[in-house]
Amino acid sequence: MSGAPSRALATRAALASRIDLPLFASSLCILAILAIGAAFNPSVVSPHYLIQQLQSAAFLGIVAFGAMLVILLGHIDLSVPWTVAAAAMVSTGLAGQGGAGGGGGGLLALPIALAVGAAIGFVNGLGVAYLRIPSMIFTLGVNAVLQGLMVLYTGGSAPPSTAPPIARALSGGHLIPGVANAIPIWALLGVLVTVLLRATPFGRAVYAIGNRERAAYMSGMPVRRVVLGCFTLAGCASALAGLLVTGYAGKAYQGMGDIYLLPAIAAVVLGGTSIMGGRGRTSGTVAGTILIVLLQSMLAVMQMPDAGRQIIYGMVIFVMLLIYGRGHVLRT
Amino acid sequence: MSDPVPLLELRHVVKRYGAVTALADGNLACGRGSIHAVLGENGAGKSTLIKVISGVVQPDEGEMLLDGTPVRFSNPLDAQARGIVCVFQELSLIPDLSVADNIGLVSPPRRFGLIDDRAQRRRAEQLLARVGVEGIDPRARVRDLPLSRRQMVEIAKALGRDPKLLILDEATSALTSEDVGRLSDLLLRLRREGMCILYISHRMHEIRALADTCSVFTNGRHVASFETRAHGEDEIVRMMIGREVSQVFPPRPAAPATPLAPVLSTHDLGWEDRLRGISLAVAPGEILGLGGLDGQGQREFLLALFGGLGGCTGEIRVDGKPVTPGSPLAAKAAPLGIALIPEDRKTEGLMLAMSVADNLTAATLSRWRRGPLLDRARERSAVGDIIRRMQIKAVPSLPVATLSGGNQQKVVIGKWLLDEPRILLLCDPTRGIDVGTKQEIYRLLRELADGGCAILLYSTDYHELIGLCERVAIFYGGRVVRTLEGDGITEEAIIASALDIHPTTQPAA
Repeated sequence: MSGAPSRALATRAALASRIDLPLFASSLCILAILAIGAAFNPSVVSPHYLIQQLQSAAFLGIVAFGAMLVILLGHIDLSVPWTVAAAAMVSTGLAGQGGAGGGGGGLLALPIALAVGAAIGFVNGLGVAYLRIPSMIFTLGVNAVLQGLMVLYTGGSAPPSTAPPIARALSGGHLIPGVANAIPIWALLGVLVTVLLRATPFGRAVYAIGNRERAAYMSGMPVRRVVLGCFTLAGCASALAGLLVTGYAGKAYQGMGDIYLLPAIAAVVLGGTSIMGGRGRTSGTVAGTILIVLLQSMLAVMQMPDAGRQIIYGMVIFVMLLIYGRGHVLRT
Repeated sequence: MSDPVPLLELRHVVKRYGAVTALADGNLACGRGSIHAVLGENGAGKSTLIKVISGVVQPDEGEMLLDGTPVRFSNPLDAQARGIVCVFQELSLIPDLSVADNIGLVSPPRRFGLIDDRAQRRRAEQLLARVGVEGIDPRARVRDLPLSRRQMVEIAKALGRDPKLLILDEATSALTSEDVGRLSDLLLRLRREGMCILYISHRMHEIRALADTCSVFTNGRHVASFETRAHGEDEIVRMMIGREVSQVFPPRPAAPATPLAPVLSTHDLGWEDRLRGISLAVAPGEILGLGGLDGQGQREFLLALFGGLGGCTGEIRVDGKPVTPGSPLAAKAAPLGIALIPEDRKTEGLMLAMSVADNLTAATLSRWRRGPLLDRARERSAVGDIIRRMQIKAVPSLPVATLSGGNQQKVVIGKWLLDEPRILLLCDPTRGIDVGTKQEIYRLLRELADGGCAILLYSTDYHELIGLCERVAIFYGGRVVRTLEGDGITEEAIIASALDIHPTTQPAA
């Protein structure tokens, strides 16, 4: 009796899921930015420039993957800036050149950075999942505490030791000729995050919790463990980005993570992830990241004065979100 | 009784949503000073009809007459301005505001441009008194009130808009029987005052008691309108579902010769001041009913068994062994095998924006795993099986929010059937669900019990307890005041025990 209409609904739903509006819109926007940029300065579409952009996108993109995991739950991680810096400083301090464990190419720097990030994320997760403190408050507090700890640790200046070779190799080395290693690392992480979210019980639980935590809990999902896991992974992502940025810049420094927090959240949201949680895809976050990085860089190329740059940057975010808003109306 | 020109008349109203025709032929006429019941299964077009009347949606075809003149409402405010007020099934109260704030929400009394708190409170008091619930403190936060009280506040709020036509959409499904009585008195009073009341309910005995006229809808079409007394209950039900109803409740199997050992038992179970020393036991194959007024601890009892309450005292035993389920996760796991169908499917049972398939497998994800990954093929076939078995009318890939209430509830139940629970707890599972789906659920519960599942069923519908349960434990103030068995489960006995009245009269011979 309801065969025909339900089939029509099904095909429409299938269509809607095949055309991912945020991904589509941000891809279009990326192309538009490139076209406008090329009109001002043709060298913008050269492979060299584009790969350079992808490399900076990789740093932001890795942070954004972590941010996405947390935002999908309906939470937020504001401890990104000093997680990035703390992981970078501790790992260079302990394993960088001139540091205590600097031998062997500073290989230890990678596990140290990840351990620092995981520990910070774990603390965030404990506070949010077990103490049930709102993530916005708790992670803000953790960020402040980390800043204090790092000032104590470094004495308020950049640590004297320079980036360990492994950090330089991961970020600037070229396994693929002409392509900085940060880019394939970002791509690999993208695949891992996609598999985690799409094909594991953990990922399904992430979406369920973001949609309605109470229903997920009442379905017997391990809600607290999943929240803890996501914050821990987000900490690791920030830490890895910190190590890569250290390799790129040559050393760790105060405030090195400050430029990643808000752009990462913007990239996630521009990529179609709902800030309330429960909906969003890895591919969207990748597109959102590239969009943000290209936009910033292009505005610089066009030698736009800073005020204009900020206004255009903000306007693009507004307009994109307005477009998505209409998409959601259609879906419900 | 009905005057020559009806207050509201709908002629051949059609409403389509894309390719789906929700209302194919809406006809209705209701006059002043009457109570008009609209009946139909879920998906019969009742909700759409109400949305058209109250201005939430605009009809595609047909006309609507108010006092004999054609009208068209572009939004609910328009309709309210003409005296049409609707109490929706979904509560529209703001939980963190006080009762008085909620009642005065749209047009609060003002003084010097600011809200006049005292006047607002007085007005709320008057309206609550009119509804018959003087006991509600206008200063109380809505969040702190039980569902039944909230619904009464909702009705008081609607009366505050001074309606000519009052629409009650499933307004009694959350009410205790006491409040239903109050509401019935109120409706009869309002009818005498000349109000027209459009009453949508799945509870047949309420309709029999209240409505002057009934209109039956099936598949978006108006089937018949008649005076309530003109047809018997069976006939009306037959019109609604368009087929013969053999028997609402499946037959009970013969009791086992030797009583089976209980699979689940509680001993002196307590929690804060809501549960006070509850000792109950349920055997495999048994359906134990929990009855009583709403909010006497039944819900907390089920939650405690499911690991949803921290800090319980006393003892829970499964298979004779003491256990302490610390969370739903622990309760559903292997040695216990407990499942709970929660009270509120929209907030506790379902992730509304996620697909039917994702909701169905939400409780059993670890079963569809191969290594660390989900085995999509097995998951899909399990979803297909359960959709067929439960006759859920749904496309697995669509969001569960697109389904009708009855089908949504089937998804919640199906989710737990996939887990093959040994002990099934149900918290008022048929609230706001059409007759056809209710019957399917009854049949399913009986099948599960016959298969050896132990079932605890809390229901606000006495007929359900009478028709399904071998024993009914009546809750009052966090205690089990009485356990009724077999033929002793009668409506009178349930009501008397629910009010904690000890019957002084002998049962009628």
